[in-house]
Amino acid sequence: MRLDEATATPPGPPAVAPTRSKTRDVLALLVRRDLAVKYQDSALGYLWSLLEPLGMALTYWFVFGVIYHSDGKGLPLHVVVGIFAWMWCQSAINESTRALSSQATLITTIKAPRAIFPLGRVVARFAEYLAGIPIIVVFAVIFARFAHTGWNLLWLPAAIGLQFIVLSGFALVLASVNVMYSDVERMMRVVTRIMFYTAPIVYPLTRITGVHGHGGLSPWAVRIYELNPFVGIFQMHHAAWEAGESVPASLVWKALIGSVLVLGIGWWTFHKLESTVLKEL
Amino acid sequence: MPDPIISARGLGIRFSKSRRKKSKLREYATGRNKLSPAYHGNDFWPLRDVTFDIFPGEAVGVIGRNGTGKSTLLKLIAGVLIPDEGTVVCHGRVAPLLELSAGFSGDLTGRDNVHLVGAMHGLSRAELRRKFDAIVEFAGVEEFIDMPVRHYSSGMKVRLGFAVLTQLPHPVMLVDEALAVGDKDFRKKCYETITRMLDEGRTLVFVSHSEADLTRFCKRGLFLDGGRLVVDGTLDEALVAYRGEEVEV
Repeated sequence: MRLDEATATPPGPPAVAPTRSKTRDVLALLVRRDLAVKYQDSALGYLWSLLEPLGMALTYWFVFGVIYHSDGKGLPLHVVVGIFAWMWCQSAINESTRALSSQATLITTIKAPRAIFPLGRVVARFAEYLAGIPIIVVFAVIFARFAHTGWNLLWLPAAIGLQFIVLSGFALVLASVNVMYSDVERMMRVVTRIMFYTAPIVYPLTRITGVHGHGGLSPWAVRIYELNPFVGIFQMHHAAWEAGESVPASLVWKALIGSVLVLGIGWWTFHKLESTVLKEL
Repeated sequence: MPDPIISARGLGIRFSKSRRKKSKLREYATGRNKLSPAYHGNDFWPLRDVTFDIFPGEAVGVIGRNGTGKSTLLKLIAGVLIPDEGTVVCHGRVAPLLELSAGFSGDLTGRDNVHLVGAMHGLSRAELRRKFDAIVEFAGVEEFIDMPVRHYSSGMKVRLGFAVLTQLPHPVMLVDEALAVGDKDFRKKCYETITRMLDEGRTLVFVSHSEADLTRFCKRGLFLDGGRLVVDGTLDEALVAYRGEEVEV
């Protein structure tokens, strides 16, 4: 066996620290591996990333649309738009929680920017969300009467951008704290379930805010509800596809500020805990 | 004299003896936890006040009994632990074979692991493709390369890890006990490879309990005891100190 020519050169000037593009390469690599491993032993493979949200959507449409007869015929589109975006949140949160503890062997032997491990999970689940967009388009075509496509589609990149920010923040906190307290993993299974109902994912926002002062929760409850950055984000998802959905400016601000705040807290926590995490792994 | 490639200054790292017990919520509430500076009773320092310089092309043997901070030192040099005191600077990338592991994950096949670990160390896909057969052949795991690594024997894992890491162009190589696991043939191949890498001017930091292995490569020795650097001199000086320690015990 011969070593490569490059290896024969004596160590010259100090090698530079891994650059930004190097970091991006490693991130891309982790994401590809993540996607490859997740479905490697299943017969339907990637189809699961579509079947799972579709099954969920069917359930909620049955409960709310058929059993409770709510909100007429636009509901299937509303539910599909909400659930596909939600699956990205839910799986990113649950999987990033284990991102450091499950990749301990890699993290404790190879020096790399540690944040890429939780962030990689957020990106990988985003890829699955992208794969589901054709399904949303199909529903928008079938329920064309309730869909609206025009400039409002610009809400989609806005929603995705904010969702990236807020999920990255969550991923950084959860992954690092979970190394110390595996309680986090159990807790998040309950918390994500609660989060699902605290944002307008399967129900319309007007159920909470009311229409022209009629219906909805009391004003102080609405104010608290709207502090959740996911409320604005999901409203943007709905506004991107559906007729009759809009995003009040105040919600945009609250979602933006809330998301950036979560990311800031996440970044700070991660760096604060990094040294302890490495000792624990 | 050239600039050092690795330099440690007052290096120290602190672990808690019983963190899990200590960090129950109840104790956070009463302030008796690791975040409170008043509470240091449970700390211990696997390594403290360690200062040394290693120059390009040196082969340094790290000697000491079990639990005296040898592996911790290598991890700090590799940058996979962050010191609590002092600094360690390494100019140049490091190929680390730590605790008999190159960082393979058990659920991936040997092939996937080689690609993942190689890529995380900065090898491009083309380089990996070019070197893949040589790596597998060197490790002697041709039949098992598509099997999950969790089914590998410890010898196979170390062989594959060593094979990947010696293909890296990095100027610094850290080897922790790896040669103890391989069989005779593999050890011979390792000796040849390490000798060649040293001839190329690379730097080796080598942890071993085998005097034969140490004297084969290293001229310089660091003897660690109780987390302190006791001897920094020639390998013989370090070995004498190590033997003396054993007699006392």
